[in-house]
Amino acid sequence: MEPKVEATQPQFRSGISGANPVEMGLGFDEIHGLISAAPGTGGSSFTALLELPPPQAVELLVKEDFPVKPMPPPIFPSNIALIDRASKFSVFASADNSPESTNILSASSSMKLDLVKQEPLESDSHPNSSSPAVSNQSLKSNKRKEREKKVKESNKKSKKVVANEASEDSGEKLPYVHVRARRGQATDSHSLAERARREKINARMKLLQELVPGCNKISGTAMVLDEIINHVQALQRQVEFLSMRLAAVNPRIDFNLDALLAGEGGSSIDNSYPGTFAPSIWSEGQINGSRQHQYQQPWHFEGLHQPSWGREEDTSNFITPETSLLSYDSPANSASLHSSHLKMEL
Amino acid sequence: MTTTHPKNPTTHPKNPTTNPSSVIRTRFAVRFLHAMKKLNKKTPPSRRYHTIRAAACASMASAVGPRRAWSRAILRKIRARTLHDHLIHKSRNHRLITRRKSAGLRGNPRDQEEVGFRQEDDLRGLVPGGEGMGFCRLLSETAHYIKCLRAQVQVMTNILDHYSSS
Repeated sequence: MEPKVEATQPQFRSGISGANPVEMGLGFDEIHGLISAAPGTGGSSFTALLELPPPQAVELLVKEDFPVKPMPPPIFPSNIALIDRASKFSVFASADNSPESTNILSASSSMKLDLVKQEPLESDSHPNSSSPAVSNQSLKSNKRKEREKKVKESNKKSKKVVANEASEDSGEKLPYVHVRARRGQATDSHSLAERARREKINARMKLLQELVPGCNKISGTAMVLDEIINHVQALQRQVEFLSMRLAAVNPRIDFNLDALLAGEGGSSIDNSYPGTFAPSIWSEGQINGSRQHQYQQPWHFEGLHQPSWGREEDTSNFITPETSLLSYDSPANSASLHSSHLKMEL
Repeated sequence: MTTTHPKNPTTHPKNPTTNPSSVIRTRFAVRFLHAMKKLNKKTPPSRRYHTIRAAACASMASAVGPRRAWSRAILRKIRARTLHDHLIHKSRNHRLITRRKSAGLRGNPRDQEEVGFRQEDDLRGLVPGGEGMGFCRLLSETAHYIKCLRAQVQVMTNILDHYSSS
């Protein structure tokens, strides 16, 4: 007990001061002072801590304002190791993204509640009475009921966060490794991390399945991966093929963008549009980027005069491809249709 | 002449270009066309296909920006290549560059054992910059890469249509 306590104390200090330097630092000094001041009580310095200023200790602990949740800081003064862990979680919570951290916090607090309840606390009824009281307010409604599940899930998440963020393995520092693993899951920190990673991978695979057409029906990661690989290869081949065609087409056309203007006008709007207006109106609304500001004025002129389409103004014409390409959401078939349609009109 | 048509309801109201895929399409289209214009004047027809393909990849990568690992990888490749071209001792630097690239080894060999390892290698080969990341990261990069490839194909198809039809 004692060596554990003493061993964890410095960690506790560093952990908590990391989380909340201002408040913790103050509280810490006090606690430290108490601890160092009461060597006479022998090994039970931490009971001294707890006994001597119990309200103060509780206050100090309560002061640890974990930024993430309105939950009161997990108060398990009976075990400094637990407090250490709590502070670690709070550090993660502030540093990391919220959903995980909230889970972690809730999990940690609920876990600790478990421990507090299950393990007969060494000496302190006092902090125990305070802790359930405080924690009850916020935790009871949510956590107690789903504690088991949350503990399970958050175990993985917390484990993952710990593995990712804490450079030192928390399992090493804290004597209670079994706190983490729960309820039929493997207790290994490795397997927990793996499980977390697997979940991440599964989530990404789901995303990919939605992205790649025809993957929804396939079950099984391997085949989905095959599909994905085929899809990527097909897309790349398409790009190559298109660039080949463009290379063949290019010398002939010499990149005259007037044609694009014509095509684009039609494609941008509904078919009945004369197309002259479409570009000017459209360019105002839809073109993003600073480039277009330069072009907008010549654009308006271009838009208003039909015969001016013959004019070669590269700057204004430049916008046209964007606008036509923007009309992808509407059936792309209309684009080519309209280009020919407009030409006939002219 | 000035028939003031009301703005098209389908294109106007919500400013459809703000959805992420059309933003990418716009950016890509602009850069690609710029590049094509420049290319058209300079390159002889023999190398045109090659340069156009490179321009497509480069403009896609620059449209995406350095936010994604695969676009960074492409930009790195391009920069390395241009540097390499400018340097006198081409062979020496080329060796250095290729050695550096291969140093970025796979992230987690463990992952290969867990999930479809055969395909993972293939995927790494396909996605630019896929060598140096873990499986999980690889998957998200692949998703984004697929989105961008699709946008690229659409834009290029449209350009082609316009050019060939006019």
